[in-house]
Amino acid sequence: MERTPLPPNDAQRFNTVCQFCIVGCGYQVYKWPLARSGGPHPSDNAFGLDFRKAQPAFGTWVAPINHRVVTDKDGSRHHVVILPDQACRVNDGMASVRGAGLASTLYAPDQPTRVRLSTPLLHQGQALAPAKWEDAVELGARVIKAVLDRWGADAVGMKFFDHGGGGGGFENNWAVGRFFFTGIGTRTASIHNRPAYNSEVHAAGDAGVAALTNSYLDAQLADTLFIVGANPYETQSNYFLAHMVPNLQGGTLETKRASFPGEPVEAARIIIVDPRKTMTVSTSIAAAGADRVLHLQIEPGSDIALLNAIARVAVHKRWHDVGFIRERTETQTYEAYLRSSLGVDRPIDEFLKEAARTTGLTVAQIEKAASWIASPKAGGARRRTLLHYEKGLIWGLKNYENIAAIVDLGLLTGNVGKPGTGISRLGGHQEGYVRPPYPGGRPALNVDEALRRGEVKCFWIGGCNPVLTTSRAAAFEKNLKERGAIVNQALRATANAPIEQRVTAVVEALKQGGMFILGQDIYLTESMKHAHVVLPAAQWGETNLTSINGERRLRLYPKFMDAPGDAIADWAILARFAKKLRTLYLADKNPLMANRFMDFDWRTDEDVFIHARYTFKGDGNDGIEGYAGVTYELLRKLGNNGIQTPVRVIAGTPVGTVRMHEDGRFSTPSGKARFIPSPQPWPGYAAAVTAQRKKYRFWINNGRSNHIWQTSYHHRHIPFYNDRFPIPYIEMNAQDAKSLGIQSGDMVEVHNDVGTVQAMAYVTDAVKKGHTFMLFGQPRGAAGDLISDHVDPSTTIPYYKGVWADIKRIGPMPETARNSSLAPTNIAE
Amino acid sequence: MANLKIAKPPETQLAPGTFRLTRRDLVKATGVGVSGCMLASVAGAAASQTTPSASPAYPELRIAQVNDLKVDAPVQFNYPDDSSPAILIRLSKGGAPGGVGPNNSIVGFSQLCTHKGCPVQYKAERKLLICPCHWSSFDPSKSGQMVIGQASQALPQIRLRVTGNSVFAIGVDGLIFGRHTNML
Repeated sequence: MERTPLPPNDAQRFNTVCQFCIVGCGYQVYKWPLARSGGPHPSDNAFGLDFRKAQPAFGTWVAPINHRVVTDKDGSRHHVVILPDQACRVNDGMASVRGAGLASTLYAPDQPTRVRLSTPLLHQGQALAPAKWEDAVELGARVIKAVLDRWGADAVGMKFFDHGGGGGGFENNWAVGRFFFTGIGTRTASIHNRPAYNSEVHAAGDAGVAALTNSYLDAQLADTLFIVGANPYETQSNYFLAHMVPNLQGGTLETKRASFPGEPVEAARIIIVDPRKTMTVSTSIAAAGADRVLHLQIEPGSDIALLNAIARVAVHKRWHDVGFIRERTETQTYEAYLRSSLGVDRPIDEFLKEAARTTGLTVAQIEKAASWIASPKAGGARRRTLLHYEKGLIWGLKNYENIAAIVDLGLLTGNVGKPGTGISRLGGHQEGYVRPPYPGGRPALNVDEALRRGEVKCFWIGGCNPVLTTSRAAAFEKNLKERGAIVNQALRATANAPIEQRVTAVVEALKQGGMFILGQDIYLTESMKHAHVVLPAAQWGETNLTSINGERRLRLYPKFMDAPGDAIADWAILARFAKKLRTLYLADKNPLMANRFMDFDWRTDEDVFIHARYTFKGDGNDGIEGYAGVTYELLRKLGNNGIQTPVRVIAGTPVGTVRMHEDGRFSTPSGKARFIPSPQPWPGYAAAVTAQRKKYRFWINNGRSNHIWQTSYHHRHIPFYNDRFPIPYIEMNAQDAKSLGIQSGDMVEVHNDVGTVQAMAYVTDAVKKGHTFMLFGQPRGAAGDLISDHVDPSTTIPYYKGVWADIKRIGPMPETARNSSLAPTNIAE
Repeated sequence: MANLKIAKPPETQLAPGTFRLTRRDLVKATGVGVSGCMLASVAGAAASQTTPSASPAYPELRIAQVNDLKVDAPVQFNYPDDSSPAILIRLSKGGAPGGVGPNNSIVGFSQLCTHKGCPVQYKAERKLLICPCHWSSFDPSKSGQMVIGQASQALPQIRLRVTGNSVFAIGVDGLIFGRHTNML
């Protein structure tokens, strides 16, 4: 019979934050020795609750997936239970489907997670074999030095995480930046989910607007929620459920009245711009009622046309915030915006009709959206609108103009820097970025292309899996494999030779077109398999790390257990290599290079955190980002509510920032926000995209599911998640499926001029005719195999969402999928 | 609503000579704590993380007559005790895992959502059990698998048996919300 243990009164307790999505829900970790569980009597368990009776709804419950037995390095075994924190104002004691399973991601030698990397691996010519740290560092560092000395810094390439939460954080990001930017000095750097080193929201930065402007509280205070290219129920779940939904249900009227005395308030309305009818749409309707939900099911890539059309209506009806525009923005940019983005010199009817045609919507829908966003409330008060966007815009038609258009709309309507408003990306993962400046320029160089051209001699992949997630993924993997194989031969031939000889052989192989590949990760993923040196990293819970969530809430995510075997924190891995490089360059009598690798002598995680802190304007009071005055001790005291960055020290006290731009200042030389005009209201598809659209029948949209985090690096090992979607799916419209003889559960092949992928068909009303939707980055079917390498030239961000392909049935439902439900995933009632 | 009486299983139901192992015995014998995780699909899971299906046994409860059950018309009952609402459904399609009766179409589940314990409702037109609190949905034809939502466990499935024309609840697979063990 199932039974879960109850923590005893003296169980160790830790406050922590989930490792997964941007929301960063607060959790409490209970840890106690194996033999000494608590009991159901209220005085016998750490909760003080009577478990001899069933707990009520919303009460405390230890489910099997919240529990794990872990083994620390000294052999001692402990129960660990991880439950959502009732006192954390991010999630109010709720767990999402992902966070609830945190305990199931913990390493245990008798659980599926036992396949964690626990020792360094070296390629011995035939295969990867366990090695000692000193051997891995010796070989890796010497090859890097040889490449640096012979070919220069840019020949050392990297693709590393830059995010917070699991696998990231301020400490690890700082070390990565110091190693590759001020240490090696390479420009051949790329970020986990794109082929270059760039912001995903350059346009917001150029406008002087922060990427995360609001607090989650603002979702409770807004009159209108405007969600573009995102599905928060599925992917920012507790932000939606704990903040947006109460507002939609009319449950935040008290808070609104207290915040806005004298202003008319009502339950919020929500506008969702998404080609799919997602669970977010269905649950919004269930929460708010259909008359308060406007779902705009746009044609792919037409967001800019929609956003500019809404703005044009607002200007036409004189709903724009004249005072804000005059005082807080640069006038000449506004004039340019009116002319080129909003086409004010053209008659509005014609403008709107064209926008309707491009977007596949009606003029009435566009006008309704404008009204919900900008029309004044009773008594003339400005309508408070919270504008949010994510990958639909970021990886949409043209990253730069996409973001510019929504930022411009927000500025036009004065919806930033005041309660109940904001212009913010929703975020996928958490943040925690601090690095020395990237030595390259903008647009950043395309590393995938550099790899294809054979310019990179040494490539280091850290905490990401490009074989599954990059565009033209199959070609990317082929490149790694073929160029890596040339080095394999050199390693095999010098298997027992002294290190200098090995390195010489490797350099010869590099001259012949080979590439030396290093990798660091927690699992031996599809990408790691191609490395010559694999370095085992510690994960969330095994090392102290700090990060911020979607409202910049900074918290400490403490170490509460040991990493498997010899795995160490990412920052510690890079420090070992840096110290070795310094030693090698000193032996070379090259102090210039040796000094680039100084100051990696951190002893603890906090050392790195404090070192990084000084880079924010010298630990002064930076208005954009920083955590002046923050220490781990302060974060422990603040618990799961943390402090919101940027943190400034005022009269000796660290003070957080609830809302960006509340002082009316923006990050431009003038201090005023800039409108970013586009040359025209809608740029249209690039030639490469138009060509693909002509050749292939279906638009292959792609994105995430509610259950599965990223490339399923944890979830593929955990039955609850893996068994839900053992085969990645493709959503198809019923008419389209019928026309191809496809039923739900059938295996299909999706192919275009870039590649081929297999998926299982889900027939659903979520997608319009001609549209489909695939799961992104999945191990058994990577959408990346279909995505072309076309990028927005101004930002080097791929149009990941812009794929067209043909589909054909190849077989019936596979046995492995027999137990997974084919029921639609967008039903709320 | 079926007329319900919870009966204790008579001692004679155990086969003669069956050794009744109590939980205390197990702890003494193996020296390790017991935690009940559902680990059917994990190969080689060590004894420290599973509980053998030991006594105390679940009660047997007659909950409905097969002939009275109409397709897609759910019947509520409490099992294994009055604080645990459950729901019995005759599905239109047969062959459901854990199903009994004609075409194995009769299935039963705990009604307490495995997210926050709100009572799920069967929506006949959707053929899903849906929770009104945060909209987690569960598929009764797939062992209560969560289709989409914020729970992290399938809805516990009631083990059923048909004897004659009667449907009996005889056990539960999966931990019920709000409990550290199903039998309090």
